[in-house]
Amino acid sequence: MSEEGKEIGRGMEQPTNIGSGTATGDGSPPLFQLAGVTKRFGGVVAVRDVDFDLRPGEVHALVGENGAGKSTLMKIVDGLYAPDEGRLEVGGQPAEFSSPRDAEAAGIAMIPQELDLFPELSVAENLFVGRKRPRTRWGGLDRNAMRAEARRRLGSLGVDLDVTARVKRLSAANQQIVAIARALVGDARAVVMDEPTSSLTDREARQLFRIIEELTSGDVGVVYISHRLEEIFEIADRTTVLRDGRLITTAPASELDAEELVRLMVGRPLNELFSRHPHDPGEVALEVRGLTREGEFADVDLTLRRGEILGLAGLVGAGRTELAQAIFGIRPPEFGEILVDGEEARIRSPQAAMDRGIFYVPEERRSQGLILPFSIKNNITLSILDRISRFGFVPWSERQTADRFAKELSIRGAEMSDPVARLSGGNQQKVVVAKSLAREPSVLLLDEPTRGVDVGAKSEIYRLIDDLAREGKAILLISSELEEVLSMSDRILVMREGRITGEFEREGATQERVMTAATGGGDGSNDKGEESGDE
Amino acid sequence: MSETRAPTPTERGGAGGESVRRFLARPAAPALAFLAVLLVAFTLANDRFLTASNLESIVDSVAVLGIIALAVNQVILCAEIDISTGSMLGLCAIAAGAVSLSTGGILLPLLAGVAVGALAGAINGALVTLGRIPAIIVTLGMLYALRGVILLVTGGTWITGVPEPTRFLGTGKVLGISVPVLILFGLFLVMELVNRHSTWGRNVFAVGGNRVAARFAGLPVNRVRFVAFTLVGVFVGIASMIYLGRAGSVQTNTGVGLELQAVAAVVIGGTSISGGRGSSLAALTGAVLIGVILNGLILMGVPGIWQDAVLGGLILLAVATDVLRRRLVGDKA
Repeated sequence: MSEEGKEIGRGMEQPTNIGSGTATGDGSPPLFQLAGVTKRFGGVVAVRDVDFDLRPGEVHALVGENGAGKSTLMKIVDGLYAPDEGRLEVGGQPAEFSSPRDAEAAGIAMIPQELDLFPELSVAENLFVGRKRPRTRWGGLDRNAMRAEARRRLGSLGVDLDVTARVKRLSAANQQIVAIARALVGDARAVVMDEPTSSLTDREARQLFRIIEELTSGDVGVVYISHRLEEIFEIADRTTVLRDGRLITTAPASELDAEELVRLMVGRPLNELFSRHPHDPGEVALEVRGLTREGEFADVDLTLRRGEILGLAGLVGAGRTELAQAIFGIRPPEFGEILVDGEEARIRSPQAAMDRGIFYVPEERRSQGLILPFSIKNNITLSILDRISRFGFVPWSERQTADRFAKELSIRGAEMSDPVARLSGGNQQKVVVAKSLAREPSVLLLDEPTRGVDVGAKSEIYRLIDDLAREGKAILLISSELEEVLSMSDRILVMREGRITGEFEREGATQERVMTAATGGGDGSNDKGEESGDE
Repeated sequence: MSETRAPTPTERGGAGGESVRRFLARPAAPALAFLAVLLVAFTLANDRFLTASNLESIVDSVAVLGIIALAVNQVILCAEIDISTGSMLGLCAIAAGAVSLSTGGILLPLLAGVAVGALAGAINGALVTLGRIPAIIVTLGMLYALRGVILLVTGGTWITGVPEPTRFLGTGKVLGISVPVLILFGLFLVMELVNRHSTWGRNVFAVGGNRVAARFAGLPVNRVRFVAFTLVGVFVGIASMIYLGRAGSVQTNTGVGLELQAVAAVVIGGTSISGGRGSSLAALTGAVLIGVILNGLILMGVPGIWQDAVLGGLILLAVATDVLRRRLVGDKA
């Protein structure tokens, strides 16, 4: 954010030459090319010896699991990271970017998953932030010229938006469009889109695809990062698969089918990644009736049995996290009731939830799950200090307790007294889970437990979840990865816009049915998506 | 890490790469190293500096500051701040002095000072936690409000003629060591023990290290912070007895400026102003360092008007060395 602010200042004093006009012609010389690129963070190799290029007019899909190195690779292209080894070429010339501003000057624009728009500014103003803005004769901002230019840019994408509207009032889809238009105002020739459809409905996604088509017909190249494989088959010309930081393959999209693609991403057939044994769901451990919190979720009913894994699917922003946090007492619900073991429980704080045997494993590991300056040991015992301490003092047995859970979850990579930050993402996640297990909960709410975790750790976490269910713990598994929900759950609930929109038994759940309930698409595939998706 | 006991300043800095690294990884390391350099420099510059009596008088002179810094340190470790201690000291000293004038003795004046301090600290804590007002605003308000209360209570007059028995905590000696020095080191040891081995002490670091994660882990985040603010009041109350004993009187402007000196001591010592990192040793070292510098300047005949400038430079230097040290140790937290 502050970067952006500085750029505004700089832009006003010294207008940079936008659109350097290094037209690559009609041939196939790539817009940009990465050759043998390696990037390390401390001891962790995020990207190892990867080649990647983008040609004019193509959609190049970049796929891989969380932590495969997609974002790192694109941040190198965007000038946020400098490669440790290898080189970046733009239009055939070696390029060294020291900031996204350099990348932009070279015609490369990044549209991150979390859009970097200014919610309080208008559409037109957003398009010109950090850019040379039209001036009146007196040196003031020429708002009319800005609006006209904004309308023209949006018009060229085939959309008609009120350019004076504040961006925070727009739907997710329209914000996405503004972000794309913003890249085009910078005369981007290469646009990197990171999970652009993660918060869009089916119909909105269609509209986005049309815009992408518009872009590529104008010889703009698009790097398309997505977890949704169907989309990739629909729009990609070429596909590159990364796994554990390595390049697995780059191939024309037509040569890969879904099964093959998944195998390449995961490195083994899916059924080997997930662990599952038959569970034996017992009596109801947690029941929620009519739970409501204004603007987050409404009228949610759910029951969760001992020894059951209940999957909770839905798009990002569907209210799943909010629901779990409400049950855990972080943000108490406004209406409705929570029953634990059949008794009504008034849960107004995490302590109260923990006393009832409920524990929540948050989705944001670093900002919500760990005390980063703390040692591994101190993180594991964080939630049980009050239980194990005598007269307010921590006993020596703390160490053994921590050791026991570290062993149980096979946490590897550092000493127990080392800072937890020294561990890899997967092992950090195991520490977060160990912390919750130390409290011996009977109900576990797991929020995206495998996000940003490498394949090996993922498989270990799946095995652990399966074991916990077999031990009789009730598990709510929130996940945005459909495969994960489908493979691990005994039963699946789907949320959309704060409401439960589908419930499936394991046998009856398919990707399509869950996705339809999650997006509200109905027969969404028949829609041509002519409307601009405002809501 | 050696969690078995509190390290003392003198036994640090052992041989071998690993122990040097471990030493450097400690929050108080730069301040301790700087303190050692200063001790050598002042000793070389002035042969009256390194005498037992001068060193004792240095620590004696920073006892009030050091005790307050020890408690403010806990608040800063929680990623909060308390800048109300200057006026709080004044009011506690007035309460203790007034009780002393009517009853004499040590215990009742001490209880009065501690009670007033604890009350003021508890109000700070309640406003920050339950009221959800930023601590800098709450304690700034408290700083002015308490100074106002001092003027209202005293009507602008001084408290003088504090009886001798009451002054023991400020002027007395036990086993040949001045009582303020003993109290300072005693409280230091207590706080080291609390931070290393008590649940509350651990939770202070957790709350300051990541408040959200601490809340999600079910820690009583509000209670931890409330206790820290109240502890400041209690320690200020204790310090007020030392002040009262040393000065023998209380003025309406007693303690002015002390609130920022306490924060400065904590930060100079090496506790991170953003919380979660630091130690009681840091707060103690910072306070002693301030005392050594002020004393050294006087011995070297540097005019008093330089004091503030030197202190300011020291704060900036402390922050700069902290950044350097973290790069050396490779600590990104």
